[in-house]
Amino acid sequence: MRASQINRALDFLRDAFDEASRLWWRFFDWLAVVEWRQLLLTWFLAWVFFIIVNTPEPAFWYTFISFGVKVLAGGKRKAELAARHATVQANVATLERRLMEAQMAALQAQVEPHFLFNTLALIGQLIETDPKEAARVHAHLIEYLRSTLPQMRSRGGATLGRQVELSRAYLAIMQARMKERLQVRFEVPDFLGSAPFPPMMLQTLIENAIKHGLEPKIAGGTVAVRAFVVEATLHVEVCDDGIGIDPHADDGVGLANIRERLQLLYGAAAQLAVSMPAQGGACATITLPYKMMEDA
Amino acid sequence: MNAQVSTVTALIADDEAPMRELLRARLAAAWPELRIVAEAANGVEAVELGERHRPDIAFLDIRMPGMSGIEAARRLYDRAHIVFATAYDQYALDAFEQGALDYLLKPVSSERLATTCARLRTRMEARQSGQAAPQDIGRQLAQLTTLLEHQGKPARPNYLRWIQAQVGASLRMISTREVLFFQSDEKYTRVQTASAEFLIRKPLKELLDELDPDEFWRVHRSTLVRVDAIAEVARDVRGRHMLKLRNYAGEIEVSRNHTYLFQQM
Repeated sequence: MRASQINRALDFLRDAFDEASRLWWRFFDWLAVVEWRQLLLTWFLAWVFFIIVNTPEPAFWYTFISFGVKVLAGGKRKAELAARHATVQANVATLERRLMEAQMAALQAQVEPHFLFNTLALIGQLIETDPKEAARVHAHLIEYLRSTLPQMRSRGGATLGRQVELSRAYLAIMQARMKERLQVRFEVPDFLGSAPFPPMMLQTLIENAIKHGLEPKIAGGTVAVRAFVVEATLHVEVCDDGIGIDPHADDGVGLANIRERLQLLYGAAAQLAVSMPAQGGACATITLPYKMMEDA
Repeated sequence: MNAQVSTVTALIADDEAPMRELLRARLAAAWPELRIVAEAANGVEAVELGERHRPDIAFLDIRMPGMSGIEAARRLYDRAHIVFATAYDQYALDAFEQGALDYLLKPVSSERLATTCARLRTRMEARQSGQAAPQDIGRQLAQLTTLLEHQGKPARPNYLRWIQAQVGASLRMISTREVLFFQSDEKYTRVQTASAEFLIRKPLKELLDELDPDEFWRVHRSTLVRVDAIAEVARDVRGRHMLKLRNYAGEIEVSRNHTYLFQQM
């Protein structure tokens, strides 16, 4: 009985001490930022109150301690606030520079030499065996290069419709190479064609799905591209039924660049989420704010 | 040329059917007597067909699903002469040159193929008449494997790059580059990203062992912070070091025995 009573008393003391120290630091922070005018006012009120109750000592101690703390800590605190303001200014400038760098990185060197060589080899071979197919692949390659090479990129390419066209061209070329090992499915409603969508994001996700999901899989599989709107959010999803993601595999510059650009363009309102569904494969979903289009 | 030379046989392995057709067509022109006995669409098939048909020559693409061309070569080189085929890969080309291995550059040009075929022909004749030993390239292949795996970079330990968190029926894959910090929270470990928070069962101690120590620092008994996410280190009025992170409102406390990480230079 006695032991438990002592324990309870100790607990109470510890809590009381914690609370007191919390209050003290809160008082300290308040002192550091409060204006001198307000502080003088509280001193005055304290003196009035304690003189009325006829015990002036607490008022004296209050004035003495708060004056001391204010003098010693106030300057440091002010400097901190000034530094924070300067940091915000600097951050805005950094943000703009980072966005530009990220855009540049996304637009450069997007065409893998492997892809180009293999496609040209394919066209060369098809010219001998199947000239019609050769012409088709050739047209797709031009379409793909037109929107991929920075020098050739036309303005106004940043719509979902344009990005889907580009991806279709790329996938058609990959199908000509991988044959029955690559199936493609698009579920993108027409009305979303005009929705703004940053360039080279869908393309990167599709290339990843093929390169890391399907190419290493002997049987191959399907790439499914889906776009839909839930409330005011546009979802663009690229799923494959490939070998899934190895937790030790580097996620590569492609995904990091998408994340960086989404963050700079939309802040917290946009996201890239990668997942592995229970039935296997991998899904990457970009969500960003969607505004009803002002139909022209 | 003597009469006892039997027909030379070959196997073609490439995961892209048009590439196989192209090589077959070019070979038919450059070396009409060569008989293609099998075509494989991946490394596993190449080994299987190689063992069944015992070709004299195996043309192997490097990048194939299931098993790479190099791995397939390691299982076949004692029975078939290996010729690699690759599109564009400087590391592989350097390695082939160093190891004196036969290779073809895709897309295969007729002239280049003619030279390779002439060389292969002499080699096959020499081997059939017992004048040359079969190629012994085990060591070169082992070198090639390490070279291609690291793409010319020094070997790096295999750190954890994706955190898996169960969300409904699927596994959410969180790249370590998204993570701001890990914090142990009784039975779970809390994974904080700029936009969300996840709970995983992997204890902080295991994460500490598996993550790249240059990417994440332990700043507290219960906290691992991604170094790149740190925006600033400030001392509060109590003298504690507090970390502010990019895209995160809260602050992370640095415990006293980890403050050495943030000493001024």
